[in-house]
Amino acid sequence: MKKSVLLFTTLFIVLAMLLAACGGGGAEEAAEEADCSSDDVFCVGLVTDVGEVDDKSFNQSAWEGVQQAGTELGAKVEYIETGDAKDYGANIDLFAGQNYDVIVTVGFALTEATAAAAAKYPDIDFIGVDQFQGEVMDNLAGLLFPEDKAGFQAGALAAMLTESDTIAAVLGTDLVPPVVAFKEGYEGGAKYINPDINLISTFHPGGMDVAFTDPEWGATTAKQAIDQGADVVFGAGGKTGNGALIETAGVDGAFCIGVDSDQWETVPEAHSCLVSSAMKLITPGVFELVSLSKDGSLPGGNFFGQTGLAPFHDFEDQIPQEVKDKLAEIEAGLNDGSIETGY
Amino acid sequence: MAASTVTKSKKRSYFNVSKLGVVFSVLLIIVIVAYYFIRPQQATAVYASTLRQSTPLILGALCGLIGERSGIINIGIEGQMLMAAFIAFLVNVYMGNLFVAVVAGVAIGAFIGLFLAWMSITLKMDQIIGGTIINILALGLTSFFYIAGLTTQGKLQPIPLGPLANIPLIGPVLFNNAPITYLTIILVFVMQFMLFRTVWGLRTRAVGEHPSAADTVGIRVNVTRYLNTTFAGCFAGLAGAYLTLEAVGSFERGMTNGRGFIALAVMIFGKWTPLGAWGGALLFGAASALQTQFQFLGLDFIPHQFIGMFPYVLTIVVLAGFVGRSRPPAAEGKVYDPE
Repeated sequence: MKKSVLLFTTLFIVLAMLLAACGGGGAEEAAEEADCSSDDVFCVGLVTDVGEVDDKSFNQSAWEGVQQAGTELGAKVEYIETGDAKDYGANIDLFAGQNYDVIVTVGFALTEATAAAAAKYPDIDFIGVDQFQGEVMDNLAGLLFPEDKAGFQAGALAAMLTESDTIAAVLGTDLVPPVVAFKEGYEGGAKYINPDINLISTFHPGGMDVAFTDPEWGATTAKQAIDQGADVVFGAGGKTGNGALIETAGVDGAFCIGVDSDQWETVPEAHSCLVSSAMKLITPGVFELVSLSKDGSLPGGNFFGQTGLAPFHDFEDQIPQEVKDKLAEIEAGLNDGSIETGY
Repeated sequence: MAASTVTKSKKRSYFNVSKLGVVFSVLLIIVIVAYYFIRPQQATAVYASTLRQSTPLILGALCGLIGERSGIINIGIEGQMLMAAFIAFLVNVYMGNLFVAVVAGVAIGAFIGLFLAWMSITLKMDQIIGGTIINILALGLTSFFYIAGLTTQGKLQPIPLGPLANIPLIGPVLFNNAPITYLTIILVFVMQFMLFRTVWGLRTRAVGEHPSAADTVGIRVNVTRYLNTTFAGCFAGLAGAYLTLEAVGSFERGMTNGRGFIALAVMIFGKWTPLGAWGGALLFGAASALQTQFQFLGLDFIPHQFIGMFPYVLTIVVLAGFVGRSRPPAAEGKVYDPE
């Protein structure tokens, strides 16, 4: 009996070590290849929010911006995936300890950890995606987006597409300001087209640890909205939102709108309903800030990136020209300030 | 002798419905029907959502209670569900056959059940540790082997049951579901019958309550435990398959999000009986659906987190005030050593 316990434990430990070796190797190995403390080597490190760099959402978009810097600026790039919210600071320190030149942190949740690190390492430039900067630090740029504008366009599109005059939004959590901005913009845009429209929208009830990773809740909530007559669903909340998109794809005649990136590329299961996505152009925003940092001119404080609607893809021919014209008119209005999103 | 007393006492508690319970049930039915008459479409949507959200919970609870009834505590349901969800998803991706995928999910659930039985019975490991290992292992393995960008060939779609689906209120809620949901409803009643009305059920309960007595009358305690824990794993496997093949149609890391643990709460809520657990699962489902509905209606004066808390508070209130003492099987978690 004892023998098998021993065997089992050994097996388990070996397996665990194997897995650990495969998983976490990235940053340590890279350090041996190039010396980031040298002036000639430009190193960019990215720390994700809880989640993975291939999350089909904002971590991935930011990482693509960093990769672009890798190919176009010849930077050495590396990422660390955060597994637990307690590790934000430790992961940033890992890059800082290797004298990286720029550290990109992704997500509102890393705001405090990034600000603390920027104060601790004044020689390193920090870029915080979705992080509002209350105090301006020269080596810390917060990349923000007017999500309400993208949401406004999505809402206007939804209001023009609906036939039941009921549209829905399935959202991450109201603990994250960009999600609230998307919602307010969406509702503002819908009411701009049709003031009497019936809007049904819901935030995930859980905390930040589950609100973006609960596709089952997203799907069942979208279904609950569709059962009540909604025929356009805006899914804004990482994988939770993706669940809502996929659910809507199974309903004839219903449309769905994605969020953050062009979800046509990231959620192929939703092709049958996905008319567009309310995009935050994170990739070019990150790339621009990294380039600025390379030139030694990182703008401290808040830096605003671009937003917009994704292409219609297969729905290009189904969307009437007057809808497209109206959307163009709204985009112009939002940009010159003649239309307010109400957020 | 010992066995027949067990049945008798169970029989009594089985039919002994308190007056308070009757009053409560009648009130509940009145509320359900009244809501339907005021807002038919909305009520139907909420009830359908309730049933959908209760499905993985009751399946998880069935897994837990079959194990515990025979004396093996299973807190690895979360991991079993996650692992089954992942394997079912992969099979669906590479084979494109939903039926085979469901079977694969169920088989993985059973296999992990067997693994738990091996750890708890043959290795005599602490069962809580065994379950924890399963949870950690499942989270790690599925996250590691998950490949982003895999897409499935569709998911299980609702099958309306002919004219039954046209009955107002009941039709769209009960008779317009996808296969796993139908199967789950049937399984609840089947398991209730099996546990309290068959030889297998009697032996299972005997092994969980008093293993040495069961042994004296010739029941092979550890074999029963092995079989039951493996069989119970099928239910967790089905719950996992439900998540990826019926509810979402895609896999995400950690997508069970604690449903395996809520299933344990549901099991205790139902006093280790399938029907009781189903009531608990429906309660959780209803609270979740109502929470969504409150937000749909724009009732912002109540914070939605507060409504999200509702099922947990209700569990405490009901357990403390109405259900009475919820007693686990006497021999659960204890290693049975015949020597």
